[in-house]
Amino acid sequence: MKSKIFIVLFLFILLACQAVPQNNDSIAVNKQAIVDEIGRQVKIPKSPQRIISLAPSITEMLFALELGDKVVGVTSYCNYPQAATKIPKVSDTLHPNLEMIISLKPDLVLVTTASQLEQFTAKMSELGIAVFVIKSDSVIGVLGSIKLLGQITNKEQVAKNLIDSLNARLEKVKKQHLNQPAKPKVFFIVGTEPLITVGRKAFVTDLINLAGGQSISEDVETEWPAYSIETAISRAPEIILSPGSHSTENEPSKLTLPKGLEVTPAARTGKIYKIDGDLLLRPGPRIIDGLEQIAKLLYSEEKR
Amino acid sequence: MKKFVYLTPKLFFTTLSLLFLLLLACFSIAILFGSEKIPVLKILVASSNYLLGSPSGLSIELETILFSVRLPRAILAIIAGAALSVAGAALQALLRNPLAEPYVLGVSSGAALGAVLAIILAETLPVSQPLGAFFGAAITILVVYLLGQGKRGTSTDRLILAGVITTSFLWAAIIFLLTVASSAKLRGIAFWLMGDLSSSNNTLLGITLVINFLGITIIFLLSRSLNLLMVGEESALSLGVSVEKIKIALYLLASLLTGATVALVGSIGYIGLIVPHIIRMAVSSDHRLLIPASALLGASLLLLADTLARIVIAPRELPVGAITALIGAPLFVYLLRRSA
Repeated sequence: MKSKIFIVLFLFILLACQAVPQNNDSIAVNKQAIVDEIGRQVKIPKSPQRIISLAPSITEMLFALELGDKVVGVTSYCNYPQAATKIPKVSDTLHPNLEMIISLKPDLVLVTTASQLEQFTAKMSELGIAVFVIKSDSVIGVLGSIKLLGQITNKEQVAKNLIDSLNARLEKVKKQHLNQPAKPKVFFIVGTEPLITVGRKAFVTDLINLAGGQSISEDVETEWPAYSIETAISRAPEIILSPGSHSTENEPSKLTLPKGLEVTPAARTGKIYKIDGDLLLRPGPRIIDGLEQIAKLLYSEEKR
Repeated sequence: MKKFVYLTPKLFFTTLSLLFLLLLACFSIAILFGSEKIPVLKILVASSNYLLGSPSGLSIELETILFSVRLPRAILAIIAGAALSVAGAALQALLRNPLAEPYVLGVSSGAALGAVLAIILAETLPVSQPLGAFFGAAITILVVYLLGQGKRGTSTDRLILAGVITTSFLWAAIIFLLTVASSAKLRGIAFWLMGDLSSSNNTLLGITLVINFLGITIIFLLSRSLNLLMVGEESALSLGVSVEKIKIALYLLASLLTGATVALVGSIGYIGLIVPHIIRMAVSSDHRLLIPASALLGASLLLLADTLARIVIAPRELPVGAITALIGAPLFVYLLRRSA
């Protein structure tokens, strides 16, 4: 008797398992096989209608590509644009809710390498969900991602216009510091207890370089290293930047510097600034806004 | 614990002066070495100038590195190392167990949980952090003591098990709080939880300095009673020690020392275990010597560990708790096997 129940149960589970991919096939006939940014081959519909974004940067890209109405799930950190906050939240970027994602029946889930969701990505693929991975490790890379995203979502023209305008602004920033004699030395403080800064692999370091600055902590490879205060002092940064909250716009920051950093040229000339962290730490389309803000602070003539 | 050497004034003073010299040596190492190389001669000249009150003759950057970065950090290491070692020795006497230690028993984790709660609930108050850590430590000691008590008093196995269980529970609670709360102050907390001496909170440093100094002094003054307590409560009672009062005092003092220290530097493990053990094995288990000697040796070892933490992967830094645990955990296993 017992074994019969088990067999029935087993068959039932088997059926249930097969039901998922079959459903998907019947919905989307037109599928394209595309290689994502980490070399995985993904099958997605020609024009995805139900997109889930698992990173704030991707959400911003989607809205910039006029795909906002196709987004059915975002993370709890997706606060821009305003409309994104009203979409169901399926994740806090590091811990996506798999059940919720499945129940939203997405035809495309977008993930960034920065969230380190490799295991989760594998699991979703196993379940037949189309996961497309975006790799955003440089400003140029962000432009590339926007282009690719435009291609797979049938928004090539919008993407092209967006990239052209972003590129134009990028070139303008680059031109600004072309003839400058020396690059200002920048120290980017992520946290003060302990002192945490950005290493060469961090996205912010790329921003600083493009803006015409030189990060003093570039010799460290890791993204967010805990950094020695004495090394920071002896490298004498001329400007100290720090990610601020939403509302802080270039206001001379209330950042309490770790003891000792008050003797750096940056502190003595009062060049300590907070910039909206969302503009600096999110590899999305607003990254050029962040770049322009850094460049303005690096090469502003005004005296404080 | 086997070693009971009769404590002569000569032994007392030679041991303490030798350990004091060791502390001086470790202090010098901590000042001389860091991620930035500064010539020794320059430092010596600058230091003597500093003591004489004349200009140091160094560039402002180097002066700041020496006197505003390395010096306060070295002082912090001394305060924390001494307090954790004495707290360890006091807990060992209180629980009559040589393996009792703030970290192993979960007391440090309790203090950390208290401090995290305090940060979330009252960010602005500077005393809230040590106060929260104190209550966290005090409650944890009580819980571990009660859990560790069998029908025939506390046994080592029960006590260690109680510590393990309590620690894992406390860590789960800390992780829960960190996941739920998104206070900006909690950003670097993972580093702090591992034990980190880079804190630059002067108010907190002052508070902890006073608490730790007083705590260590009082425990030292109680050392005669501690000796009797180690022999056994009955004999202590018969010799006129008011056992209950001493035990409560020890309990509060150990919580206070651990709490104040953890609030400032996070949970640095195993210092409170290694240090009293070395003193007992090498010199004597008489608390009149054990307490001050542990304070000196603990300060020296933490100074060394922190110097390592600052230079091994310079200009990056390691949490010092990682270094003490790397050395301390194997030693703990060794001591556990020996005592069994």
